[in-house]
Amino acid sequence: MSALVLTHVTKRYGTRLVLDDISLELARGARLGLIGPAASGKSVLLKLVAGLEQPDAGTITVLGDTITRPHVREVDLGELRKRIGMLFQSYALFDFLDVAGNVAFPLEQRGGIPAAEIAERVAARLRAVGLAGSERKLVGELSGGMKKRTGIARATVADAELVLYDEPTAGLDPVTTQKIYDLLAADQQRTGASVLAVSSDVAALAELVDEIAFLYRGKIVYRGPARSIRDAPDPLVRQFVRGELDGPLTEAIG
Amino acid sequence: MTGLGAAALRLCRELGGMLVLAGSVLRALVPPRLDRRELAKNLHKMGNRSVPIVVLTAFFAGALMMLQSGPFVKKLGATSLAGWGAGYAVLREIGPILIALMFSGRVGANTTAELATMTVTEQLDGLRALAIDPIRYLIVPRVLSMIAMLAVLTVIGDAVAIGGAAVVGRLMLDIEWSTLFHSFADNLEPADFLHGVWKSLAFGGAIAIASCYFGVSVRGGTVGVGRAVNAAVVASAVSILVLDFFVTYVSAP
Repeated sequence: MSALVLTHVTKRYGTRLVLDDISLELARGARLGLIGPAASGKSVLLKLVAGLEQPDAGTITVLGDTITRPHVREVDLGELRKRIGMLFQSYALFDFLDVAGNVAFPLEQRGGIPAAEIAERVAARLRAVGLAGSERKLVGELSGGMKKRTGIARATVADAELVLYDEPTAGLDPVTTQKIYDLLAADQQRTGASVLAVSSDVAALAELVDEIAFLYRGKIVYRGPARSIRDAPDPLVRQFVRGELDGPLTEAIG
Repeated sequence: MTGLGAAALRLCRELGGMLVLAGSVLRALVPPRLDRRELAKNLHKMGNRSVPIVVLTAFFAGALMMLQSGPFVKKLGATSLAGWGAGYAVLREIGPILIALMFSGRVGANTTAELATMTVTEQLDGLRALAIDPIRYLIVPRVLSMIAMLAVLTVIGDAVAIGGAAVVGRLMLDIEWSTLFHSFADNLEPADFLHGVWKSLAFGGAIAIASCYFGVSVRGGTVGVGRAVNAAVVASAVSILVLDFFVTYVSAP
């Protein structure tokens, strides 16, 4: 069974077409990276998959459940969302809780998990992302990198079946970036979770995922193996990944 | 003309949005599954911390009522009615309205700013992504706390305002304590007190819905937070005065 199926999904904001008739499938346990120019709809696609936004057309099936209207309402998504972990680009940390409170939150809200086990899992997760000793810090006291790592810890603490990462290493230094990708890869190996990750750091992303899809002007114009993404047959993708100034992408976006 | 139409449409959209939010809050109360920590935190923050400002405002409001009416009462030799005049105005009108306006400025504006900041930083989406309903988790405790605490603060304010009126009556207008006491006790009725409490419940609901609605419907990033607070304070003040008219009309003696 697939972890994720998008069928002819279209999303508009006003007159702006953000996603244009996208179809996409992700097998259980598979890892897909999503790249593309700024404002190409990558984050919107993640929000659609998490059920935080509804498409204007098309259907989305996540872990076997169709999450698009009229098949489902917001109130029906609760159980499914417990099986999904999500890291937001803007962290979306709760500023009324400290670091440990944020990471513990998904476990506490599930109910039925003993407090001692929650504390143990939170401590282990914070150690893994290099935040041991920062448990009692409030969100406002954290640097951008620390917020990102807290967000990663919160997204992965509950061992979700599908994990959505929106720019997991933006704002982190190269060493921490590598550590985080190693951690995410190890987590995925351990849990077997399906991964859909958006990142601008294509080289690091290629270490985490099996395949990379290129989103351009609302459409997925390329999907291929992550390891050979630099040599993708599509010149748009090659120019984007290599960061070259001259090429069809520059001509298209000016 | 186009501007007038756009303003009318905006007003309808906002009124409709507030009604939908009020409906969602009522629906979330059945069955009543509340986050008790969040409720207790809001009750404390909205109630306890508002007591000093309410006491200060109410004391001077009561004192002012006596200061305005006292000289005429004395001139007409009707000192036995001095306490009643001030008390009647305080319990039925001045107390509930003034305290509601103070509450809206302090608690309502704070709630809007807090929710709007959470909205623009995607914390509400963060809650939804973790299978938490933001209405049930954030809005319902705030609405219940505002309604309950405004009623409690109005009762406290009523008592303090009557005290303020009595102090001014005795110290500045030289009316005997016993005269003031009998003036309050013999002429004011439980209905006068309850009239103000009913109003405070209605005002609390209006402030709560307006402040939460403008908080969660904020647009335009951090700049929008200021606009949302402004809109919430204006909407609350207008709602208080409109509701005051209708509650008074419906329950007029």
